[in-house]
Amino acid sequence: MKRQKRVEPTLLGAFEEQVMLAVVRTSTDAYGMNVRRELEEVTRREVTIGSVYATLDRLEAKGLVTSSRVPADSDVSSRRMFVVTPAGAQSLVLTRSMRDRLWNSANVRIMLEALSPARARQ
Amino acid sequence: MTAARRPSPPLGVRAIFRALIPIAERDEVLTELAAEFERRVKTDGRAAARRWAWRQALGSAPALVRRGWWRGMTGFEPEANRLRPGGPMYESWIMDVRYAARHLLRRPIYAGLAIATLALGAGGMAAVYSVADAILRDPLPIVREQQVGVLWFGGSWREQEFLGLRPNFPGFQRMGAYRPDDVTLEFAGQPLKLIPGVAVSSELLEVLGTPAFLGRTFRPGEDVLSAELVVVLSYSLWQELGSDPNLIGKPLQLGGLPRTVVGVMPQGFWFPSPTIRVWTAARMDPNNRSGRYTLVGRIAEGQSIAHMDGQLRALAGLLAANFQYPNPQWDKTRNPSMTSAREFFVGDVKPALIATLAAMAVILLIACANVAALVLGQVDARANDLGVRAALGATRQRLIQQLLAESLLLGTVAGLCGAALAVAGFTILVDSLPLGALRETARLDWGVFGASMIAALAAALIVAFVAGIALWRGGSLQSVLATTRTGGVGARGGSLESLLVVAQMALAVLLAAGAGLLIRSVVNLRAIDPGIQVDGAVVVDTTMPARLSVDERKLAIDGILPALRALPGVHVVGAAQKLPIRGSGDNWSLTVRGRDDLRATTATRMVTHDYFAAMGMKIHRGRGFAASDRAGTERVVIVNEALVAKFFPNEDPIGQVVQTVDAAGERIIGVVSNAAEATLVEGAVPARYLLVSQMPFLYSQMSFVIRADGSDVAPLVKAVRETIERESRHLAVQQATTLRNMFDLAVGPVGQVVILVGVLTVLALVLGAVGVYGVISHFVQRRSREFAIRLALGQSPAHIVRRIVARGAALVALGGTVGVVLAVLVARLLTSLLYGVDASDPMSMAGAVAILVVVGMLAALVPARRASSTDPATLLRES
Repeated sequence: MKRQKRVEPTLLGAFEEQVMLAVVRTSTDAYGMNVRRELEEVTRREVTIGSVYATLDRLEAKGLVTSSRVPADSDVSSRRMFVVTPAGAQSLVLTRSMRDRLWNSANVRIMLEALSPARARQ
Repeated sequence: MTAARRPSPPLGVRAIFRALIPIAERDEVLTELAAEFERRVKTDGRAAARRWAWRQALGSAPALVRRGWWRGMTGFEPEANRLRPGGPMYESWIMDVRYAARHLLRRPIYAGLAIATLALGAGGMAAVYSVADAILRDPLPIVREQQVGVLWFGGSWREQEFLGLRPNFPGFQRMGAYRPDDVTLEFAGQPLKLIPGVAVSSELLEVLGTPAFLGRTFRPGEDVLSAELVVVLSYSLWQELGSDPNLIGKPLQLGGLPRTVVGVMPQGFWFPSPTIRVWTAARMDPNNRSGRYTLVGRIAEGQSIAHMDGQLRALAGLLAANFQYPNPQWDKTRNPSMTSAREFFVGDVKPALIATLAAMAVILLIACANVAALVLGQVDARANDLGVRAALGATRQRLIQQLLAESLLLGTVAGLCGAALAVAGFTILVDSLPLGALRETARLDWGVFGASMIAALAAALIVAFVAGIALWRGGSLQSVLATTRTGGVGARGGSLESLLVVAQMALAVLLAAGAGLLIRSVVNLRAIDPGIQVDGAVVVDTTMPARLSVDERKLAIDGILPALRALPGVHVVGAAQKLPIRGSGDNWSLTVRGRDDLRATTATRMVTHDYFAAMGMKIHRGRGFAASDRAGTERVVIVNEALVAKFFPNEDPIGQVVQTVDAAGERIIGVVSNAAEATLVEGAVPARYLLVSQMPFLYSQMSFVIRADGSDVAPLVKAVRETIERESRHLAVQQATTLRNMFDLAVGPVGQVVILVGVLTVLALVLGAVGVYGVISHFVQRRSREFAIRLALGQSPAHIVRRIVARGAALVALGGTVGVVLAVLVARLLTSLLYGVDASDPMSMAGAVAILVVVGMLAALVPARRASSTDPATLLRES
């Protein structure tokens, strides 16, 4: 059996983070098209399947997700299913905490209110 | 029961995904896509679903292509695909490209040579192509330009003719007229400036069809004598005047008169040349019989310029009915013809551009042949490697793919280098091509990058194709393995390389012959004696506002002379209303008192006292102008020797009286040496010279000639221009240059293009020599074993040298013959650039072949000497 290389958690790019979270959210059903659909529904933006696959590949190469073949029930014999690795989960936490720290003392709302009170209330 | 057909994504979408997704994941992705598509058809309708599918495919493509390459380059394969069929995409290509890159890096000289050769060819081609494309193909600033043409009836048009026919030009929608009309501009706080312009009839801008950017173009009735003076500005002039939109409707002091600005033309609009910056409404006089207008017409809808003969003949008929043409030379009814606008405005530069483009294409082909020979040499050097690969099961296609990868890699790098070269060389190229005013339309854009890449990649494909043929014909590749052990004897005969050398030599001869023709033309042109001392003088062309009286003009000219004379190094300053070698100028009729039978015209020039000294012309008989010859004294004239030879062959002209200005006439006081008063090619023509100060009238144009010590007067040009701008309120500098430059300009386009073609020819010769050298050394290398055996058996080294050089000479001779045949066929392209030499001039052809033979033999001699001087024992042991 191949020995697992130890993977250090890293900071994620914005789209990488979104894709990872979509993999977590779809948990047992995390295959490419489903991840794409989940992303689209939550972010309310159209996402192309190609960019999702390319990002998943990159994440897998970094050791943040892994994929395995799982037999499917429908028209396809099997699907490439994704799971977030422990290093991937740590990377998500790391990325979020970094963002939270940045957000902590950045009061954007006050700025918006100063610019246009009505819009900020929305 | 038939099941309803399930909706599936469009074929194109499926094809894109099929092509871009590795086999291992293909079924899954396509099925999921189809399922999502089906869902969307149900919820959003078929059309929306199809749009979605296309967005997915096109949006995914870049990411998927990148992923494919990334997987291939890094070797990444997901866990889930480990037991699936397929493997990484583009794998063999990626392997080949990496192998090629390693191979090229290991052989930097080979790679550098191949890249440099291709880059030179591709870059040069790209630079010339972008210039040619900008000038020959970019749309003219004329709406539907194919409908617009210039009428040429054997001479320019008179106002009378234009106005007489104006209501009815048969076959034309509209007809406009223009004539050159540079005007001085007086603008608050700026020195008097000369603005190149044309005076136009009110229809002209309408004929061209481009609407004004601000304000309007001219209206009917604005070009009559009584109308208010109106003017349309170019965008650049408007910007220079402060980009003020309120300028419309305001007067501008142009040509000494206030003219109302009615419009500004859009940016990029030019007519009839890019240097023109102002269009004034001409004041057309129905009684004016002087001919100086050019007619531009838009033909009726559905007509074509090529089929206007009937209408033009009708027009000639109208002319014949209304006007009289006693002088057959100016008879407009004889040769009615029409030129398309493009031909008229850019036709002049076409031959030079096409000659350069053709020369560049030849260089590119030579470069291809060179690189192909280089690659072939590598193929042979790698015979072992290829043999082993073939023995292990590599197919021919696979080996050729390897070759293709290497060529394309070379081509890509060469294309990039070539683009850089083209950008660097663009300005030099534009300056060395005889583009005239059209130079301003030649701009560098991204097209040059594309052109370089296309040229380099096309060249790389040719290279791969040629080298591929060699591999393909190599018969069974396993045999290559066998032949390498025999030291190459019996391996490929090298006939392909020989063919390449022949082709290369033929192309080089073609180019050298073309260059030879051009060089001979330039030599012929430069050998013409213009009759003036070309070096050591500065020329300044100036204009005065039209409102100045004749006396004010004379004062302006006299006023500036002392300031110019006071400049350091200057020893004499003269002026004339027109200088030699610049075209025909004024030809006035000559009447000699007491010779009533004489009817002739000669060139007539108005000059200042020191004009002859400034031009380097000598007084041969009689005297020159003296200070005592001034306004109020008897008018005097100096004639040249050509005039004496023609009109006073057997008598003394000094003291005779000719009548130019009025019945009082002018007394001939001297005879001056000949000068090419018209064009350089026409040489000396009969001419007479009158003193500016004694003339009752004077044009507003004046050219000054400032002669100084030493022959390098270029630094003086600026000082002269500045002095005039500073010292004179009435003289606007049109241009300032050296007399040498003026002469170069008179030599014409061939003088400029010859340098470029000469450089290209040297390049072609060097590339050709490298090619011969490469192929012959390769030939020698392949047969080194054979030569060693021959030497060991007692054959003399000289014999071997002869054998090898003879082979080189045979190739060169064959190439030369083919080249001469090509040159004779192609040289006709150059005819319009040639002077005093026939397009099939045997001297140029023979010269080209001779140079080639010498270069080729030298290139063959080097490897031949090497082969004959090696010790056979060492050689045999090594192999």
